[in-house]
Amino acid sequence: MNAVMTKKKKKKIDWRNYVIFLPGFIFIFIFTFYPMAKMVVMSFFDWNIGFQQVSPFVGLKNYIDVLNDPIAKIAIVNTFAYAFVTVPLQMVIGLFVAVLINGIVKGSVGYRLGYYFPVISSWVVVALLFRYIFSNFGLLNYVLVDILHIANEPIGWLSSRWSSLFAAMLLGIWKGVGWNMVVFLAALQAVPKDQYEAADIDGANRVQKFFKITLPNIRGTLLFVIIMLSIGAFNTYTPITVLTGGNPAHQTEVVLTWMYFKTFNAYKMGYSAAFSVIVAIIIIVITVVMFSISKWRRGEE
Amino acid sequence: MMNRTNKKNRIVDKMMVPRYIILSLGLILMITPMLYMFLSSLKDNDKTFIYPPVLFPSLSELSLKNYQYIFDNVTFFKYLGNTLFVAIMTVLIAIVVSSTLAYSFARLQIPGKKIVFGFLISVMLLPGLAMIIPQFELAARMKLINNIWGVILFYAAWVTPFSTFLLKGYIEDNVPKEMDESIFIDGGSIFSVYRYIVLPIASPAVAAISISNFLYPFEELGWSQQILKLDELRTLPVAITMFFQSHSRTDWGYVFAMTTLAMIPVILFYLLLQKYFITGMTSGAIKG
Amino acid sequence: MFKKVLIIALFLFTSVVLIGCKDNNETLTLEFWHNYSASDGQVAVLETLIDEFEEDHEGVTIHPVYMEWQALKDSVTLGAQTGVLPDILRGDIAFVPQFQSLNVLLKVSDFDDYETAAAKVLTAPNSSNKMGNDYYGIASNTNTKILFYNKTLLQNAGVAVPTTLAEVWTAAQSLTTNGKIGYVEPWTGIWNVGPYIWSNGGDVLSPDNTTATGYINSSIVANVVTTLKNLYAAGALAGPSMDSGAVGDTDGWASSLYAMQLDGPWRGASNKSAGIEYDAIPLPAGTAGSVSVLGGENFMLFKTSATEKQQAAWEFVKFMTEKHAQVEMAKVGQMPVNLEALEDAEAIAAMPLLPVFAQALATAKARPVIPQWSEIENVIATKIALAITGAKDVQIALDECAAEINAILAD
Repeated sequence: MNAVMTKKKKKKIDWRNYVIFLPGFIFIFIFTFYPMAKMVVMSFFDWNIGFQQVSPFVGLKNYIDVLNDPIAKIAIVNTFAYAFVTVPLQMVIGLFVAVLINGIVKGSVGYRLGYYFPVISSWVVVALLFRYIFSNFGLLNYVLVDILHIANEPIGWLSSRWSSLFAAMLLGIWKGVGWNMVVFLAALQAVPKDQYEAADIDGANRVQKFFKITLPNIRGTLLFVIIMLSIGAFNTYTPITVLTGGNPAHQTEVVLTWMYFKTFNAYKMGYSAAFSVIVAIIIIVITVVMFSISKWRRGEE
Repeated sequence: MMNRTNKKNRIVDKMMVPRYIILSLGLILMITPMLYMFLSSLKDNDKTFIYPPVLFPSLSELSLKNYQYIFDNVTFFKYLGNTLFVAIMTVLIAIVVSSTLAYSFARLQIPGKKIVFGFLISVMLLPGLAMIIPQFELAARMKLINNIWGVILFYAAWVTPFSTFLLKGYIEDNVPKEMDESIFIDGGSIFSVYRYIVLPIASPAVAAISISNFLYPFEELGWSQQILKLDELRTLPVAITMFFQSHSRTDWGYVFAMTTLAMIPVILFYLLLQKYFITGMTSGAIKG
Repeated sequence: MFKKVLIIALFLFTSVVLIGCKDNNETLTLEFWHNYSASDGQVAVLETLIDEFEEDHEGVTIHPVYMEWQALKDSVTLGAQTGVLPDILRGDIAFVPQFQSLNVLLKVSDFDDYETAAAKVLTAPNSSNKMGNDYYGIASNTNTKILFYNKTLLQNAGVAVPTTLAEVWTAAQSLTTNGKIGYVEPWTGIWNVGPYIWSNGGDVLSPDNTTATGYINSSIVANVVTTLKNLYAAGALAGPSMDSGAVGDTDGWASSLYAMQLDGPWRGASNKSAGIEYDAIPLPAGTAGSVSVLGGENFMLFKTSATEKQQAAWEFVKFMTEKHAQVEMAKVGQMPVNLEALEDAEAIAAMPLLPVFAQALATAKARPVIPQWSEIENVIATKIALAITGAKDVQIALDECAAEINAILAD
């Protein structure tokens, strides 16, 4: 019975569906799925990338190495801290700016462009500028010590783990606000105007309107932005390399900087592959948990 | 009716000044570093990172000679042309691939499409650096080393998951189901998806993904550096690193001048699309 | 609209086909990856030398590709498996053991005239190509580190030029006044602290490179690290690997922030262009003499290139290590390895510090030539940074360091 049903169902599928689906599928299969699968395979080998070298199968050794590596743990903690701070702040500031720009009549193009400037600037160059701002004798300390006389001696912003991560987070937020602003601005324009008008009649104030009308209407965009920003945050590399280089003593290492070191300086390709898989699993688990909680909450409502 | 509009305008006017004040303060924070970058591009190479810092450079320090140097000694337009070509091709391929995939995931009946979509999402979640090894091997086997397509095809593949993800949601929310009928009128090919779905309706979303996809080749360094070793093929980010020296003094003036110049096409592209992006988004929403 | 899309698609397709096809020339084109500096004029000299070589060797074209240090290393690493490699490479002497572990380097000592060519260059720098009894490259240029000092800052602080290693440290202390910093050390690897360890009679690994115990955690090393720790605590020593907020050495020198540094020939060039009054001496002797660290670059060839290309590449490399090319490169700051070039008047005139470097070179020591060195040196840099900044007790840090190195050596 079941088999017949499936057969019938299968027959129904229009072959023309495949005409549309297959070209794109083949493209991503070759360029992303195949390398991804190969990387997962690599994670079970002591992968040698030399010329005509063989790679012995080592089972779960790479995974054990990663889990036993204190620096990998630091890198994961730092990366998650970076994500948990930069993602919400970028969104809140970006949405705030978008709401403000949405409410002005003149000069909105100018503001939109101005806030978008950091987005299109080169990561390397702005990271160098931030380094110059935060270094011991940099702009910030110069202003604090020599001009405003607030501090007696230079503050070592980049000298300790959390304060240098703070500088990196600030860079990430500064550079990301503009992108959030653009995406939220587009979403705000799509919120039906009659809903606001109805709320005006009810005498709702700005804050009420924002939480009762604006936010529910841009729910889809919010989810999209959270996902995009989190992925971006987990792939952060340049801010750390330029600002601290992982110093002091690997305390500011993030996932990608440590993976880069293991790949290109220590030639531990299998380790890097296993590290990738582990981080991906952590992210997937968190995502699934977050989705379930939000679904469960909505169900309760 | 009349009364209400008047009242609304009054409220709007009251909030207008604080809005501009807050926005302008934010704007200063946003563009001050950019301004510093621009001013540095007008200063001598060794005046950029000096300690103690100089907040306001004197006018006599500023000149256009770094730009002069870039135009005289660096094949800037060659690099710009390469980067633009890569950017445009990446944008186009990403549109073709992600729109057909997004449409398939959103509407078409294909066995196993959920699994494929799941894989596509996990590609986004994997920290990609370790993947560079199999990808480079693939590029080498496909003879894509020192070939500009080796950069384009991989860039397109990297931006596809994001673009598909965005477009899928957009098509689900905004493209009416009735459209599904018309797609097979032409015989149902990739081009039909374009004609009936992507271009007329999903255009704001397409504009949104294109803005960030266009930016990609102007930002990406590592892959481009590995694939394009011939000077005549290099993209701008790689060309800029040619000024970075391990031991000697880096010519910051040139770096900043070139970075400033590299931003111009991206700004133009943004201005070009953002108008379309905003109006398109509104009309799309009304239809939905 | 349909037509437009079609046209774009056709354009895409034809471009793929057109770019995909490459024409085969009859000339032998050799790809040459290097990191000669463009801003010092070295690339320009290289291009002239290539022209001269091509004139004498009909049918051979050298195609130079500049890559920054890390990009050069990464390119060889990534290209090893598929043989996407150059025919010639000129890079850091530390690359040799690492590239050899990728099984890509050509054993150049198999060339009949290798010994003749090697006899024309300094023995110590060329030994960095030696693994086992074979050579996997030939020296391109050499360098070592000497003690640079900012004359103005020494004068202002009334500090005399130090004559012993101990005096260097006291001078660093006294120079740390008026917001200046006495000494800068950009990293804490053996490239940086090695000279202080060796000059006091210590070492990093056992002579047969099998263990670090009793070497990196010896009392000599502990004393050196403690000295640096005290300097750091007094604010007289700065560097990004100890404190990422520290001003980079080049920017710091140019701003007259740093007074002294043990560094290579590039420091002279950068100070000159920044208009800093500087001078340099060989590293003042410690209890076991003055032993600096050997740096420089080698030429390497690849087993993945075709045989006739390997032969042509060898000809080019020999040309580059002969007197003429070496003197030309000396004029733009590359210290020659060619024995005749080292005594050439033109070369000496172009490099006023050449005699100082030559003196330091005579006793300079190479870092261990083993494939795991990059990883080992990183462990050392991390542990020593922890010890200097006081995050870890000196002896504990060094003991941990020895254990981790032994694990890497055993792996």
